[in-house]
Amino acid sequence: MSPENRWALALSIEVAVSATVLNAVVGIPLAYLLARRRFWGHAALDLLVTLPLVLPPTVTGYYLIVLLGRRGVLGAPLYDLTGWTVAFTPTAAVIAATVMALPLLVRTARAAIESVDQDLERASYTLGRSEWQTALAVTLPLARNGILAGLVLAFARALGEFGATLMLAGNIPGRTTTVPLAIYTAVQTGERGDAFVLVGLLTGLSCLVLVAAGRLGARAT
Amino acid sequence: MTGSLDVRVAKRLPGFDLDVDWKASDEVVALFGPSGAGKSLTLGCLAGLVRPDRGRIVVNGDVFFDSKGGVDVPPQRRRLGYVFQGYALFPHLSVAANLAYGLRDRPREERRRRVDEVMHRLELGGLSERRPRELSGGQQQRVALGRALAVDPALLLLDEPLSALDAPLRRELRRELVGIVREWGKATVLVTHDLAEAFQLADRVVIYERGRIVQAAPKTELLSAPASERVARLMGVRNILHGTVIKAASDRIQLRWRGQVLEAVNSPSHSYLPDAGAELAFFIRPELARLIRKDREPADAAHHMNLMSGRVVREEDWGTTWTLYFRLDAAGEPAHGDSDLEIEVPRMVYEILEIARDRRWQLSIHRGSIHVLPA
Repeated sequence: MSPENRWALALSIEVAVSATVLNAVVGIPLAYLLARRRFWGHAALDLLVTLPLVLPPTVTGYYLIVLLGRRGVLGAPLYDLTGWTVAFTPTAAVIAATVMALPLLVRTARAAIESVDQDLERASYTLGRSEWQTALAVTLPLARNGILAGLVLAFARALGEFGATLMLAGNIPGRTTTVPLAIYTAVQTGERGDAFVLVGLLTGLSCLVLVAAGRLGARAT
Repeated sequence: MTGSLDVRVAKRLPGFDLDVDWKASDEVVALFGPSGAGKSLTLGCLAGLVRPDRGRIVVNGDVFFDSKGGVDVPPQRRRLGYVFQGYALFPHLSVAANLAYGLRDRPREERRRRVDEVMHRLELGGLSERRPRELSGGQQQRVALGRALAVDPALLLLDEPLSALDAPLRRELRRELVGIVREWGKATVLVTHDLAEAFQLADRVVIYERGRIVQAAPKTELLSAPASERVARLMGVRNILHGTVIKAASDRIQLRWRGQVLEAVNSPSHSYLPDAGAELAFFIRPELARLIRKDREPADAAHHMNLMSGRVVREEDWGTTWTLYFRLDAAGEPAHGDSDLEIEVPRMVYEILEIARDRRWQLSIHRGSIHVLPA
């Protein structure tokens, strides 16, 4: 494997791990809110989180450019303020992977939280625990396997992200080229051998992930 | 030990409207009525899990909710022991952790002592490390009660505690529940749609129907004097019939029904005197109608009160008893579809009298077995 491809593999893993951590931090509270609270904008928030699952990744990537690009809604003020833009950086790859993976975690975790008997939460309230304490002591522990399965799926999705990453982070070898992008480049330039190794690696990893998710799913029921 | 309870709540939900007002100072109150009558909703309001639109809830002098005064104490600070339908034990926690769940604020040593005490009193010894799913139904019920009682609640709330169980287990756990509730002597509100449960556990019964209260009375009064035909129907009383008053006195009422003259005892607690010719509802307990044996002296009206004759048109086998649907030899429409009366006979009687073969019978009903119902 070429040094560049080895670098791509390292970056891919780094991006997938970071995106998974971000997913846990943002996605689990989000899943709880969507599952247990009714508030103004509930449906809109649900739609917004889910959209990347059904939109073509390039469309999601386009929105991310509109939002975070150097002349984007948030990107422009950031650039004016700091002279730094997220576009075409490894951070962009992490953001793209996070957004693309979020619906998988939120949907799986939300279903797991919704399947927790609400009488357990009510029992906890009558026994003096606040909603926050109840979520930590009862709801989330009981939804644990579903949440873990969601994180595993999110990791897999982040590892394989292509379209949105290409749009926001570009394909700069040694900087933003992740394994899926490296495979694309290798095929385009006729380096079939390199492509074959990388494809094998991703396939193997994905199989592992599926087995892990399946085990967690089976234990959840 | 006796609790004082004042519950007045109104809540409108899509397709349902709850508006109830009851008081109690008895030890155990049963909210009885069909499913969907608003009993559990009331319990939820009492516990602070559901917010009423209007009303006032006072428990032992503490105002938990008052829509006018803007008071709404959260469930965490009401200190009520709620036992949920299906028990709602925390499946990921051990028995000891379930029992200690409400004691988080107490010092560790006190918490341990309290859990030990509850386990001892509820005979849960040796089960402290078990998970709820490893327990029998009876043990689960005791853990649920123990978890609620451990915090020394002002009031124990039981929501259909036995409804999910099959008949034999239900009987066994009902006995156990009665024992525990009596022994701990806690003021209790029980929600049930099972009359037997209400009668075994409660001192006072509040009858719900479609979000309203139709009668609230000590249970002894309820049996002898359902407040209305509606209450009687909710209590599952069979053979509710309508006749016309011939003559009413403080102890007896004579009435005409299906061409028969019936004599009934007037209600002892609510003796009342309708005018002659007034319509009157009454009921006859199916197990108290007596079939006249044909191998004895022929029946005569002097010895057999409220004598009537007819035939069995339909029957149902209930295992230990048979229900016979009896149609009188009288002109006109029968009282209920194709029959006038339901009669319940023990299986042995059914076989000895060969009712399967012999369909024509005379029957007699003691005047004390005919109960009149206030309009």
